[in-house]
Amino acid sequence: MIRRIGRRELIGGGAAAASLLVLPGKAPAQGGAKPLAGVNLNVSCWSAAYPKYLADYIPEFEKQTGAKVTYDTPSFPVYNQRMDVELSTGGSTYDVINVTFIYSGRWIGAGWVTPLDDFIKNPKKTPADWGGDDFLEGVAGQLRDKQGRLCGIPWIADIFMAGTTHNEIVQKLGGMPDTLDGLEAMLKKAGKMPEMAGFIAENHYGWTFISFLMSYGGMVFRNPPDDLTPVLDTPEAIAAADYYGNLLRTYGPDGVLSYVYDQVVQMLKQGKALYSTNNQMFLVQMAGKDSKVAETCGFSMFPAGPKGRRPQVATHGWGIPAGSKQKDAAWEFIKWAMSKQMTERMFKEKNYSSVARRSVIEGPDFKKALTLNGFDVGKMYVDTIELAGKGYMKYRTVPVYPQVDREIDAAIQAIVSQQKSAKEAMQTAQANSLEQLKRAGVKL
Amino acid sequence: MAAGSLSTGWEAHRGRAFALGLAPALVVLAVTTLVPAIYLIVTSLTPLNPVNPGTAFDFSRPWGNYVSALTDARFLHSLWVQAQLSVVTVMMQLLVGLGLALLLDLPSRLIGALRTGFLLPMVLPPIVVAVIWKVLFTPDVSPLHHTLAAIGLPVHSLITSGGTALWAIAFADSWEWFPFTMLMLLAALQMVPREPIEAATIDGAGSLQMFWYVRLPYIRQALVVTAIFRLIDSIKAFPLIYILTDGGPARATEVTNYFAFVQTFNFSYWGYGSAIATLMVAGALILSLVVSRLGTDHGVVEH
Repeated sequence: MIRRIGRRELIGGGAAAASLLVLPGKAPAQGGAKPLAGVNLNVSCWSAAYPKYLADYIPEFEKQTGAKVTYDTPSFPVYNQRMDVELSTGGSTYDVINVTFIYSGRWIGAGWVTPLDDFIKNPKKTPADWGGDDFLEGVAGQLRDKQGRLCGIPWIADIFMAGTTHNEIVQKLGGMPDTLDGLEAMLKKAGKMPEMAGFIAENHYGWTFISFLMSYGGMVFRNPPDDLTPVLDTPEAIAAADYYGNLLRTYGPDGVLSYVYDQVVQMLKQGKALYSTNNQMFLVQMAGKDSKVAETCGFSMFPAGPKGRRPQVATHGWGIPAGSKQKDAAWEFIKWAMSKQMTERMFKEKNYSSVARRSVIEGPDFKKALTLNGFDVGKMYVDTIELAGKGYMKYRTVPVYPQVDREIDAAIQAIVSQQKSAKEAMQTAQANSLEQLKRAGVKL
Repeated sequence: MAAGSLSTGWEAHRGRAFALGLAPALVVLAVTTLVPAIYLIVTSLTPLNPVNPGTAFDFSRPWGNYVSALTDARFLHSLWVQAQLSVVTVMMQLLVGLGLALLLDLPSRLIGALRTGFLLPMVLPPIVVAVIWKVLFTPDVSPLHHTLAAIGLPVHSLITSGGTALWAIAFADSWEWFPFTMLMLLAALQMVPREPIEAATIDGAGSLQMFWYVRLPYIRQALVVTAIFRLIDSIKAFPLIYILTDGGPARATEVTNYFAFVQTFNFSYWGYGSAIATLMVAGALILSLVVSRLGTDHGVVEH
């Protein structure tokens, strides 16, 4: 029997979900026959919480289907490099792979990953109630090819949002800010607080800054993936960098540039910073059992900038390499791993909440578990994913983004450490990005 | 004559036997050191990028990576950062190591115990050293920052300021490696013969004169060798930078080694990274030759 879980337990597990997991549903055995007897499936994903959790359930799949699964979870960079070579050479070593978010544009665009619509829509391969259209389009859309075919089934969705450690203070200052202007005004009003910084963010600015950049009307590339000309030196981008740099420099803790994500999470859980814009999977840890601010934390969607609200959303999905010689068996694995039942089990048994199935997210259990101190984080989650469905996340699926990402890091560092003005820093980032893209062979 | 031929034949035979005996070791050495080095150089002549496997055999622009490097402002900047870090750390380590070696060059059990204690930083795994300094340099949790603040001397984060980050790295690196220079120079000091020291003492030489005219000439070679070791090692600086600053802020601590790492493993420019690594090896060799020449040109005082 599956026990019900409380929201605190969910959050605790959600902490572990600093990656993710998926619990497979119980695939029905067919007439006692083992449909995949003798089949050896090679499955690979980068090392995160989700694939680690999934490993616990794979024996069930093997028992039900007769297949033998060789399961491999190397580190993120090793996985990506290995898979990139494998896919680019049309290899058939793997049958089921993770379609990595930052490589999805390249892998899907080049036709290296099999479109899954023929499997999903074929009643002989997939029952109608499996729910291929149950996945939130804001994440699923990022795994579609140009023809709109789904090339990966999303097993994670993580969103960028906002949180406070002390909602009682924020309420006195006017409540959770809905705009970036409001955020600055609130922090100014809060002033210097003893033992508490006003704002904290992880020092991966190629991720944490982009929501600000886009909410100011800026972009990373002109029109990704078709036009990869960087546009980091536009007036909007410079204004966003100036705003964000000032936020970190004025309201961040001493040494803010050195804060990696786990330090940020610890700062928040100890109540040493008032406010943060961050990943949902990190922010909800403030409501965990081991947090000093569990009873006082609060949440909101990412504040809107002068040109709208553009919170970031990331996803990864299961896919089948074009070179796989066992596509039907591979689909059986994906169908099992991403079934409604498995998603439910993953949520209930592993406390994994970064799911992409609407039916689970909109269920009463999910809503209850993700209603934290009266804040409906579940709704923020869905609303944010729907916003991202507008397509502004395309920049991140560009293979050369890591190079530009590092230039953005350097620009924000230069601004915060006052080595350069926002204008100079973003112009340098633009020039360096152009050089990097040229080296990577990108035609601009 | 016949005896000479016999002797020569025997010598040749012995030479062949030695060569044969050494061959397996030489083969292993070649496979483990020369082959990777040659592969590095070969790779540096290609635009190898694992994303495009065909680039592994593209020798159409063999000097392309080198030309790119010499016109790459980031690479040239990394050289400048590297030069500053190397000079400062080697100098600091030599000075601190020499000072402590002079203090410890005394027969005493207490000093023996101190000597052992001083070795601690050097025997710690580099990543542990980096974590120690990460804590010490993070104001929020640092006992160092808290103490300074408590006595009215608050100091802002040293590793996130463009003006101090490199020096913070240099300080931590010197803390880690001064025991090495201390040990080397202490060993050299203990080899200095007693007679000239006694003679100088009788002649009324002061401490500074004793050091400058008697001890220093004897340890000059050891100083040079130690400097070369540390110089080469400083070029390999990595864990401290990786943990403390990630090459920032805004590349203020991006030394050449770290630059090569980023190019190779973050951006997958393996060919370019190999070219940078090859240039670094060449630079280290040239520097070593120059430094060793500086040490031997003046020669050691003959007694």
